[in-house]
Amino acid sequence: MREVYVAGIGITSFTRLEYPLVEIAAYPGLMALRDSGLKKVDHLYVANMGGGRINGQTGLASAVVDHMSLTPAGAETIENGPASGASAIKQGYMAIASGMHDVVMVIGAERMREANPLEATDFVATLTHPQAEYIYGVTLPALAGMFTRLYMEKYGVTARHLAMVAVKNHKNAMDNFFAHLHEDITIEGILDSPEASTNNPYVADPLRFYDVCPVSDGGACLILATAEVMKKINKPLIRLAGVGQATDTHCVHERKDPTELLAVREAARQSFKMAGVKPSDVNVAELHDAFTILEIAESEEVGFFKKGEGHLALEKGETQIGGKIPINTSGGLKAKGHPVGATGVGQAHEIVLQLRGEAGKRQVKNAKVGFTCNFGGFGNNVVCLTFIKEK
Amino acid sequence: MSVDLEKILRPVDTPLQKFPAKYMTLANGQEMVVRQAERDEIPDILPHVEPLMHVERDFYNIVAARLYSELLAYYTYRVQDEYVLVAQIEGELAAIVNGRIVSPDVGMSYHTFSLRRGLRVGAHAFATKMEYHIDILKQKEVLIVAESGIGFRRWMIEYNLEKRFHIPHELGGCPSWSLTKELFDTARNTLVVGRRPVPEHLLEKAKAGILPPSDPPKGPEDLLAATRSMLDSTATSLIEMRTKVGGKKK
Amino acid sequence: MELNIYAYKCKRCGELHYPYKTICKKCGENDHNEFDIVPLPKKGKLLTFTTLYTLPSDYEVVTLALGIVELEDGNRITGQLDIKNPKIGMKVNGKVSVVRKDLYKKHLGMIFYKA
Repeated sequence: MREVYVAGIGITSFTRLEYPLVEIAAYPGLMALRDSGLKKVDHLYVANMGGGRINGQTGLASAVVDHMSLTPAGAETIENGPASGASAIKQGYMAIASGMHDVVMVIGAERMREANPLEATDFVATLTHPQAEYIYGVTLPALAGMFTRLYMEKYGVTARHLAMVAVKNHKNAMDNFFAHLHEDITIEGILDSPEASTNNPYVADPLRFYDVCPVSDGGACLILATAEVMKKINKPLIRLAGVGQATDTHCVHERKDPTELLAVREAARQSFKMAGVKPSDVNVAELHDAFTILEIAESEEVGFFKKGEGHLALEKGETQIGGKIPINTSGGLKAKGHPVGATGVGQAHEIVLQLRGEAGKRQVKNAKVGFTCNFGGFGNNVVCLTFIKEK
Repeated sequence: MSVDLEKILRPVDTPLQKFPAKYMTLANGQEMVVRQAERDEIPDILPHVEPLMHVERDFYNIVAARLYSELLAYYTYRVQDEYVLVAQIEGELAAIVNGRIVSPDVGMSYHTFSLRRGLRVGAHAFATKMEYHIDILKQKEVLIVAESGIGFRRWMIEYNLEKRFHIPHELGGCPSWSLTKELFDTARNTLVVGRRPVPEHLLEKAKAGILPPSDPPKGPEDLLAATRSMLDSTATSLIEMRTKVGGKKK
Repeated sequence: MELNIYAYKCKRCGELHYPYKTICKKCGENDHNEFDIVPLPKKGKLLTFTTLYTLPSDYEVVTLALGIVELEDGNRITGQLDIKNPKIGMKVNGKVSVVRKDLYKKHLGMIFYKA
């Protein structure tokens, strides 16, 4: 198997974009080509979840490859729910590692705001089990609400801890030009003040408005290439060293212990094993915080902290920039935004920025090992990536 | 001429209790003051409403156009018993809400217009408007319609408004929804917030002048891309709108 | 007529599945459709719950109480709750009723009440 490197990156703002979905996908692709200096790619993967249902565009990759004048390169659309982005990167990895292609472009793109908020909620709810969850009106926030309640009961996580995750991520996003939300929220404003019930109403109690990520449009791109191709590119050598994936039961109620995210645990383990590093070697991580509780739970399951101690580490400031293991320096899904198909690629984009030393005010000093966790469905399909800076 | 034309044309206003100003802490820690606007402040408000008549998104254009006419009607004494409340964050205009008192028991909500996104300013402003009708003016119900889906979700669904479909609303004659005192009391604890009296320094800053919003909603930066996103290859969908309403031509 | 929610019992090894799985999760040996149906019990205890405020568009109510219940036989089920103050561990009884209407179809599922 050949080694795989990141040759170029590109991203749009993750906000409300009044551009066609195809262009939201093409723009970061253009940026990545300019970033790498490359003119052509062998293959294109496009990660997207809503194209068919929300934007009326199926076969998105076929549209994008022509829109970017990259034909006759092969192209595929990858759909893995909210983990589409990292799954597409995984496909790109396998294409190069296997020797099939030398340069692969991976784009993640989503235009959720073409639909109204009610439609967007309904659409994401189709990830749930149709007979056993969907018919009850279960949405992803409902599953997250039930998960959070159990976590609070079992480990003593409180609403304050959840608010701390939101405040930290919002603060990080203030220095991230591409983030969806540039709102420096305070614990006082969302939890303590008498007006907190309007500022921060319940969505799926105990989860509140500021515990749930926004609905965003956006696109991101990674160009992956072989060591040979990298010789011509004058950028730091960032290797995609580890790729892991695992699945769990579709219905949340079928899990033996619903507070455990076994798919996260296994995917992370595989990714670290392949990269030859331990969780304690990681300098910066992007974890999938579609709900603030997930940042805490994932930080434990991937191995940064013991199970049930993630919120204690958060209290001590260990996950802030400058702490032991900065998490979600980009603002995470909570503040940077969550254009479903683009998120996984967006996470990788942030890690590559960090390892290259190009993260500006968000820079983690001497970042050498980066990690992303892209959480599909409600923990039933998780893809983890490990990046290592070689030069 | 001994005929006082102005007196004939002006509707006679009912004496109504003024809205006592209140303030609230927003999610980002800043404080917002909601107070009743004086008639002579309307010319300071109009320039901030006008640009949004050209933003097609989220029905900003129609809400801004209608609100502009309602504010002008209030200023020129051509509407009966209208009130205008403004929400300000450090003096900057954040939201405008207005409405009319139809009868002692029934209020007619006009518009809720938010210029500051992301801090639930619209939710605060709407709740404050309802508080004015029901708690302060002691009305029994307020008739409401929504122009955009966002309004529909936030008011019809969240407050669980009653249907009054046999009553046409003054905005466009469409079927009205009603917020009754009973419904308001149910929602009171979570949705009606804010404190009185407003601290001196906050009220002074708010009354000193209505400052322009720092980041109001704007139209698409790339007009042609926006027309493409609406599946329009002739580039007419947005551009035409702009020329017709007198905005800048591309 | 009282309605039931059915679990599927593998004819080879007896493992119960709710919801249906094509291949038995225990023995993996079954042929297509080699399952018997077994009605799920209706008594259980509440494992976790939430009150959902942002509902899908099919619902006319303002909030929806949802929960995961562990039934007497160890199987778990997600359902709606008609309980004023749910608590983790609370004993509940279920009844099959309409849980969602979309356009013209009515969907049946379990609603749980305090036992």
